[in-house]
Amino acid sequence: MGRGLGFKLGVLLAVFGILAAGLTGYYSYATSRVMLAKSAEHDLLTSTQVLARRFSLALDEVASNARLLAALPDVAPIGKALLDPGTKPHRAALAQTFSAMLAVHPEYFQIRLISASNHGIELVRVDRDSDKLTRVKGDDLQEKGHFPYVFNTLRLARGEVYLSKIAINHEQGAHSGLGKPTLRVATPVFLDDGKLLGLVVINLDLNGLFDLLKTDLPADYSLYLTNETGDFLIHPDPSQAFGFDRGRRVLLQDTFKQAAAILDGKTNTVVERDGAGGDQSLIAAFYKLGFGQAEAGRFVIAGLSTPLEKVLADTRQLGANTAKIVAAFSLLAVLLAFLASRLLTRPLGMMVQAARRFSREHAMGELPVRRADEIGQLARSFNDMQVEIQAHLAELQESRSQLAHLARHDALTGLPNRLLFFDRLEHAVATARRSGKQLAVFFIDLDRFKEINDTLGHAAGDEVLMIIAHRLRSLVREVDTVARLGGDEFIILFDSLGDVHPLTMLAEKIIHGLSQPVEIKGRQLQVSASVGASLFPQDADDANGLVHKADVAMYLAKTRGENTAHFYAEGEERAG
Amino acid sequence: MPFRRIALHLLVIFAGLIAPVSSATAGETLRVLTWPGYADPDLVQVFEKRYKVRVEITLVSTDDALWQKLNANNGADFDVFAANTAELQRYIDQGISVPLILGNIPNAQHQQPRFRKLYDIPGITRAGQVYAIPYTYAEMGLIYNRKLVKAPPTSMTAMWDPRYQGQVLAYDGSTHNFTLAARLSGSKQPFQLQEADYKRAVEKLIDLRHNVLTFYSQPEEAVALFRDHPVALVFANYGSQQVKQLQTAGADIGYVIPEEGALAWLDCWAVTKRARNKRLAELWINYTLEQPVSQALTERQGLANTLQTASAAQASGKIVWLEPVENAQRRAALWSRIMSGDRLGKF
Repeated sequence: MGRGLGFKLGVLLAVFGILAAGLTGYYSYATSRVMLAKSAEHDLLTSTQVLARRFSLALDEVASNARLLAALPDVAPIGKALLDPGTKPHRAALAQTFSAMLAVHPEYFQIRLISASNHGIELVRVDRDSDKLTRVKGDDLQEKGHFPYVFNTLRLARGEVYLSKIAINHEQGAHSGLGKPTLRVATPVFLDDGKLLGLVVINLDLNGLFDLLKTDLPADYSLYLTNETGDFLIHPDPSQAFGFDRGRRVLLQDTFKQAAAILDGKTNTVVERDGAGGDQSLIAAFYKLGFGQAEAGRFVIAGLSTPLEKVLADTRQLGANTAKIVAAFSLLAVLLAFLASRLLTRPLGMMVQAARRFSREHAMGELPVRRADEIGQLARSFNDMQVEIQAHLAELQESRSQLAHLARHDALTGLPNRLLFFDRLEHAVATARRSGKQLAVFFIDLDRFKEINDTLGHAAGDEVLMIIAHRLRSLVREVDTVARLGGDEFIILFDSLGDVHPLTMLAEKIIHGLSQPVEIKGRQLQVSASVGASLFPQDADDANGLVHKADVAMYLAKTRGENTAHFYAEGEERAG
Repeated sequence: MPFRRIALHLLVIFAGLIAPVSSATAGETLRVLTWPGYADPDLVQVFEKRYKVRVEITLVSTDDALWQKLNANNGADFDVFAANTAELQRYIDQGISVPLILGNIPNAQHQQPRFRKLYDIPGITRAGQVYAIPYTYAEMGLIYNRKLVKAPPTSMTAMWDPRYQGQVLAYDGSTHNFTLAARLSGSKQPFQLQEADYKRAVEKLIDLRHNVLTFYSQPEEAVALFRDHPVALVFANYGSQQVKQLQTAGADIGYVIPEEGALAWLDCWAVTKRARNKRLAELWINYTLEQPVSQALTERQGLANTLQTASAAQASGKIVWLEPVENAQRRAALWSRIMSGDRLGKF
């Protein structure tokens, strides 16, 4: 059918199908993408909060350990020894306890008991030194009274815990902890009599602690920690951490603009998309965590980030899946569209075939008239129309042949008229001329027919003419043409004659046949006719000539005494 | 007003003058190593816009940190830096600091006469060549808390006074502390310590450690400590800058130049040998000597600038200009141990 209705319909349906599949796919993709990103953000924030919570719990544990150490019975003799220089201080037991504590807590750098007197002299000190523990003794013990973690802790009540600022430890001789990010957790030590002995300090390895805390986080999560001014303490790029210690501050709010809201105290959590910008775009979540004693409103900000790329990879996978589904549904839509268009166009095609056949052959083809739907209705209407058209056509044919008959026949007698006669004569002349056969034309005129008309009326005259015509028809062969030229004049064409002789007999037979009486309205009428004959090719070689010559011969017969026949002879002309 | 019109003309001429420079320097990065308050972001931005460059400011708060940074890569990490005249010597010795082309720093002509006479300032010139341009200066006096100290102290020895035990804020820096301790312990040449001087200075500094509350690095730290603890005396390492800061924070303080004289530093700009663009570095120095930039030093930080005459308070009292020390590394190493709490017996 080429680019017909079926094609267009198919394309339209296919386009609708593809469009529907595509749009549904796109919107579900867009929605899922947003949900994925949201869920990634949510996961990140939750992980950050969990991490911060763990950090908080870890600090609580360190604080508990510090309090535990501060309350050990080994502390009291050391205190007594300090007050009474005569007694030998017994510090080894406490050092062993410190070592045991350090052994089970790899995230501790150092545990010390520091005196409140003697400029904060260290009384018992155990350092981590790479993979072993070292007890620092004698002259190597240092005076720490001028450090904030000492003089601030000594102002606290029993059981209170001091958390230092997180800083790089520059204290010489600190072994593994030297130059490392350190958080000092300290608590005052009181003797039984309530006298302040000093403090217990645990140096916490910040990076080691967070390495422990983040062990079960996804590998692509990066960890951040900042202090309350936004200086990075932990950063995926170690060169960005503790910038202030090297004179170049690297601030959270410079990298992650939205995180400034935490520092401004407007919120506790922030999730930032596209944090670092460029190729290293991140999703990052930050969470503010109260830190140390509530007094100064101190806090740290913990943060996790994951490459935006990773989240996008998930959405890309989703996109690819959606595209596959859309493609499959589009294919299905194209198939269905093809089928639907076939379903519609096949009956239409049938009707087109039927219509073509009808116009070509006026015959009906098969139509889907049994269908109950609109196509069935259309087919039935089409069928009805075909039937009606056929009926009309038949009627038209009928009247046309009638008209044709009327044009070439005499209305009264039903014989061929002059027009038809001359047609046949000319045709016969042409044939005879080729075949060399003879023709004969008989011109017949009824004698005194005018009298019948005048005496009995035209109706009777017409009746006579009809009877004469019938007789003439019965007197000649089927192949011969009997025509009425008008009035009481008849003419006969004898085609394909073998010999001239039977013609005289035939003329006699006609004259005799016509002279039989005719019964009109109960009266016997006597009619007769004069017959003039001409022959082809002897008398004339064309139709007009033959008729003319027969007319002349008929006239001569009439003048010679009616009811007779005369064959034209050369040179004869109608007198007058 | 005719003045304004002239100023406008000058501006147009000036803009024409700097135009070729900006195109020659566009897109470069100038790495400045300096001290807090010397290059505030808003002033840096003006420079960045004018010359279409990026300026990377690195701040240090101790001479030791400054030395560490510049010496680390033989000065290749920075283009221009600020150091006091005493400190400058070791940078010249090491070849880190190189002579300046004064023609590139026309604003130096607007400095006070005493700073224009560059050859009279010890440490700025060597072998007839100028290595630095003075930018700001301050004497290190003593701040006292009027509420805790009845009579204004007259000497730095007040910091060792047991009456103020645990109420003194000293500075966490090796060079000045050793000079200070050496002067107070009777050394004749506090900038050129002998072995005996060292011994006395270490002892003196350990004594100081026993008497202080703590040692601070940043002036802000001192303010916070002053606020949270009963502090009687503060060694004003940052000079009048620090006085202003404490007063702004609401502290009721006095400031004295001790009778034995206060150490004073003169901070200068110098250019490194391995500067990527020495011309741009000199443009930076020239820029800092513009009125608004130098003025900001005084207005914002309370520091003296080199364009205006010093105030009466700063003018009064004996000043001892800092000089290069015999061995800064040794002082730093010793100081680090003192700071860490090593006892005298360990030295």
